[in-house]
Amino acid sequence: MPQYDVLVIGGGASGLRAAIAAKRAGASVAVLSKVHPLRTNSALSPGGLNAPLGNDDSAEKFAQDIRNAGDGLCDTEAVNILAADAAREVVWLERVGVPFNRNAEGRIDCRPLGSSSVSRAAYADDRTGHMVLHVLHEQFQREDIPCFAERFVTSLIQDGGVCTGAVALGHRSGQLETFGAGAVILATGGATQLYRPCTSAVGTTGDGLMLAHDLGVGLVDLEMVQFHPTVYSAARTALISEAALGAGAKLVNAAGDKLVNAGGLSRAQLAAEVHKAGQNGGGPVSLDLRPVDNLASRFPAAAEVVRLMAGIDITKDPVPVQPVAHRPMGGIEANAAGETSVAGLYAVGECAHNGLNGAGRLPGNTLTEAVVFGRRVGEAAAAHAKSAGAADAGGSQAAQDGERLAEITSGGTSGDTIGAVHRELGELMNANLGVSRTDAGLAEAQDKIRALRERHAALRVNNKSRIYNYALAGYIELGNLLKLAEATALAARGRAESRGAHLRSDHPEKDDSNWKAHTVVRSQDGSPKLDTRAVSA
Amino acid sequence: MEVTYKVHRKDPENGGESSYSTYQVELPEDATVLDGLQKIRDEQDDTLAFRASCCQGSCGECAVRINYKAQFTCTTRIGDVTKKAPEILLDPVRNIPVIKDLVFDMDRFTWNKMAAMKPWMEPDDEFAPTENLVPESEMADVRKTMSCHACSLCDEGCAVLPVNFDFLGPAAMVKGYRFVMDPRETGAKMEARMKVVEQPQGLWDCVHCYEADGKCPRGLTPSSKIMEIRDVAFKEGIKHEKVGRHHASFINSVKQTGWLDERKLVMETEGMTNVTGLMKLLPTAVRALRRGKMPGRHEKRPGADQIKRILEKAEDSK
Amino acid sequence: MKYAFYPGCVAKGGCPELYSAACKVAEKLDIELEEMSDVACTGAGCMPTQLSDPINARTFAKAEQMGLPIMTICSTCQGVFSQANHRLQDAEYREEINREYLAEEGLSYQGTTEVKHMLWVLFEDYGIEKLKALIERPLNGLRVSPFYGCFLRRPGNIMVPTKDVGARRGYLEDLTQILGAENVDISGKTKCCGFPILTANEEASLGMVAKHAGESSQKGADCMVTPCPLCHLNLDGNQPRAEGQTGEKIDLPIIHLPQLVGLALGFNTDEMQLGRHIVSTKAVNDKVDMLT
Repeated sequence: MPQYDVLVIGGGASGLRAAIAAKRAGASVAVLSKVHPLRTNSALSPGGLNAPLGNDDSAEKFAQDIRNAGDGLCDTEAVNILAADAAREVVWLERVGVPFNRNAEGRIDCRPLGSSSVSRAAYADDRTGHMVLHVLHEQFQREDIPCFAERFVTSLIQDGGVCTGAVALGHRSGQLETFGAGAVILATGGATQLYRPCTSAVGTTGDGLMLAHDLGVGLVDLEMVQFHPTVYSAARTALISEAALGAGAKLVNAAGDKLVNAGGLSRAQLAAEVHKAGQNGGGPVSLDLRPVDNLASRFPAAAEVVRLMAGIDITKDPVPVQPVAHRPMGGIEANAAGETSVAGLYAVGECAHNGLNGAGRLPGNTLTEAVVFGRRVGEAAAAHAKSAGAADAGGSQAAQDGERLAEITSGGTSGDTIGAVHRELGELMNANLGVSRTDAGLAEAQDKIRALRERHAALRVNNKSRIYNYALAGYIELGNLLKLAEATALAARGRAESRGAHLRSDHPEKDDSNWKAHTVVRSQDGSPKLDTRAVSA
Repeated sequence: MEVTYKVHRKDPENGGESSYSTYQVELPEDATVLDGLQKIRDEQDDTLAFRASCCQGSCGECAVRINYKAQFTCTTRIGDVTKKAPEILLDPVRNIPVIKDLVFDMDRFTWNKMAAMKPWMEPDDEFAPTENLVPESEMADVRKTMSCHACSLCDEGCAVLPVNFDFLGPAAMVKGYRFVMDPRETGAKMEARMKVVEQPQGLWDCVHCYEADGKCPRGLTPSSKIMEIRDVAFKEGIKHEKVGRHHASFINSVKQTGWLDERKLVMETEGMTNVTGLMKLLPTAVRALRRGKMPGRHEKRPGADQIKRILEKAEDSK
Repeated sequence: MKYAFYPGCVAKGGCPELYSAACKVAEKLDIELEEMSDVACTGAGCMPTQLSDPINARTFAKAEQMGLPIMTICSTCQGVFSQANHRLQDAEYREEINREYLAEEGLSYQGTTEVKHMLWVLFEDYGIEKLKALIERPLNGLRVSPFYGCFLRRPGNIMVPTKDVGARRGYLEDLTQILGAENVDISGKTKCCGFPILTANEEASLGMVAKHAGESSQKGADCMVTPCPLCHLNLDGNQPRAEGQTGEKIDLPIIHLPQLVGLALGFNTDEMQLGRHIVSTKAVNDKVDMLT
């Protein structure tokens, strides 16, 4: 059985940064990833990554902007760490190869993005995530870290309350493989596939959240789901960086009138405005990018993706947009060092909740969060692994998982399918847990999710092979999403107020006396239980 | 509309023979080829293996051949395919070993070939407190090049790979270009980088047939980039010994006489002291001689002095 | 109809039969050729553009002085010329080269020289109907595989720049048929012949020879026709070695474009010097002889 000091699950920006840091801290490291690292969802983050590099900026200003966007739910330690470390990490990224756009002095150019009070987003055209991911993968190769790609993790191994490894199905080998580790880092990304439509890759199915949840780790602020305000969405979706608004693009209504002054609005407020305009019979809202100078060269990815997915030339016509589910703020309960309630288990990036994002993530913080906390969590996990020493992951979990896979693939078709259940879940989440929510809608969602879970439980996969059996993986992913949906609806129903991304039309006001607190969902006797936790100052 | 999909199948657990499965799928007019594949797997045949990730043409994961043309399934609309052909024929990308159905071996192919480029920077001042100062004009081309998906569609068009699987291919060379042209790698780093790029199966194994230029979904013109790296190699001094001799002889011949002395070129390329290499040429030379194909006396051309002057000046302007 | 004739190094060296065939055919068609004898090799991709652009600008300037378009009989020459001429359309770049390199000789290139391969000349300038009228011996029954190679086709934006000349993609097949022969299509007809990597990777280069010539031979072609003498050198000259590498007999004659035209215009195989090829052209000779 392969044994490493640190096992990183997830090959996106957070996972690669954590792996590099752990290796440099002297640990032996391996990365497991569902897809090749360069195919992960990190590549889709367009707009930029925040760092207070400008003369008019400071860590304090940055921290304040984060707190404003977080709408009362940010935990101070994480905010301060991010604000303090961001510049150093971004400079490191530049030094190792990210081709950031430059200003007239040849320094990294920073542009306005979202509700930031100053121009703070370092960017590489509108392909920042792609560039950062590719450069992190370059440095990851430089460190000669083994990468086990196309490995679908089926279980974490726990021994006496300590996480000692993971079991993964190799798509290529068709074998369940056990990986022992002194520390395991979950960097599995978000769960935006809960929604249909959504902006994220097919693999964002909350696998890491459920792996942690199954070990009893809490899931925090799940109800906080960021909707992106400028997404084309019809048969397919195409996300346009919000940086376009900062560069002069306008949101207009059907009559062509400017809808809203985007400056200073949080992403949640902007999403709500666009949502409202679409609801009130104002017809479709469009993003008019034509006022942007040098549009095609400054936003090449937007031009490309809108042309491909919508057939619209952004230099000629406005693009119909709507808010679309983008990234969760909530996730695995962790501190700023990534530690969870299970010894040896760490979480970082979009799957984690470390208190940084509160009720609303500041646009441009996703990638910064990935690299700043990726490094810190990688170092913390390496230190833990060194002091904990090698633990025996055993082989029994793999045998158990093998039985589970056999049961799933024991199949006859019914009329029902994985795709149908997933589609109905996504549409339900979009309707009842979308930009605006009500108690009745949430209660209905809970019932329907339960019914969908039953349908899922009755489904079986026909394909008995283990080699590139995407139906099998898809079945497990859908199971994860359904459990997560149940927990999310529970948290959303509990939070009887409107705050950040959580807009309750039946409770339109913010209620600081009762709800300046995190929701925490834990698995108790197999079902989710809602709890709250104070925000740490 | 009802669409016929004909999909390449290969089952590594049952002999691994290639075959095709045909499916009828009901899809909306503006559906993508990927939508159809997902529907087939969900409703008709869950043994079908194909890759996909971002579903918006941004990650490179879903490259296959759609009616003989390599494309992304997630950005290709069924209507655009069916208006030209009665069915949607899906094959794995060429030149790459297939594992199962439409899943091919990226490890042995693109990932390994790119890794052979040692694709990372090792800056001396990695932890400097501030960034490199670089003019935007020098960064823009590197950035555009780095938008490469690593999707291997350029390798798909490569003329060399079908006869030489070990050739690193255009995708890896684009990765090399990104470093060669990066203003942040200079001096000894540049020297080392050129050695990597000129390794066996690298830069000089490309036939510069320009096939790859038209294949990149991002319009990155990999073939032209290879030619640009070659120009850099000339400037920096060619590291590949035999190619270096060949090109030196070539240029020298044109300098001396205005045109190419083929006979001298062939011998000087092998190296005038390389007896084994020269002996290998013998059978071809004898055949050529017998057919009257051996080049005759190589005369200096009128204008040769001007040509020499120009070439020497151009060399000096490095 | 008159051209500044640029035969290229190979037609004056390793493939003299190409040179003489081109001259004979041109004469028969009443195309006047004034050979450029005081100009340089194009560089053939073995020189950096920094060296080759100035010497090619010189060649273009000379043609400009002659007041004639250039005709080539080599795809490689044509490709390098077209790419250089494309860059030299940039007035600033052209002026720099004029100033730095050409002025001393009293030359200056204004960017007006047209460069055309003989294949293009036949279709675009001479006229295919005129050619048809002169065919004395339709090559009925001769099975021919057209082989373009790379440089007449790519880069597409330079070699086939506009829709007007989109037919360039099919000239070789069209011509073969116009001459009365039968097309034997092969999958690699626009692929590389392998010549450019003969130095760096001989095995791969010969592999390409075996692949293309082998496919054509298997499909029952009598010969292959190519507009490029470098393709010819590799496909013909190295065919015996390619056979040695794969252990499979190919035995496929490789005919230069002007030779095929010449045979249809009534020249005999000796006049077209088919005897100078490495691979015996006996099968072609026999069929052609039957036609007369």
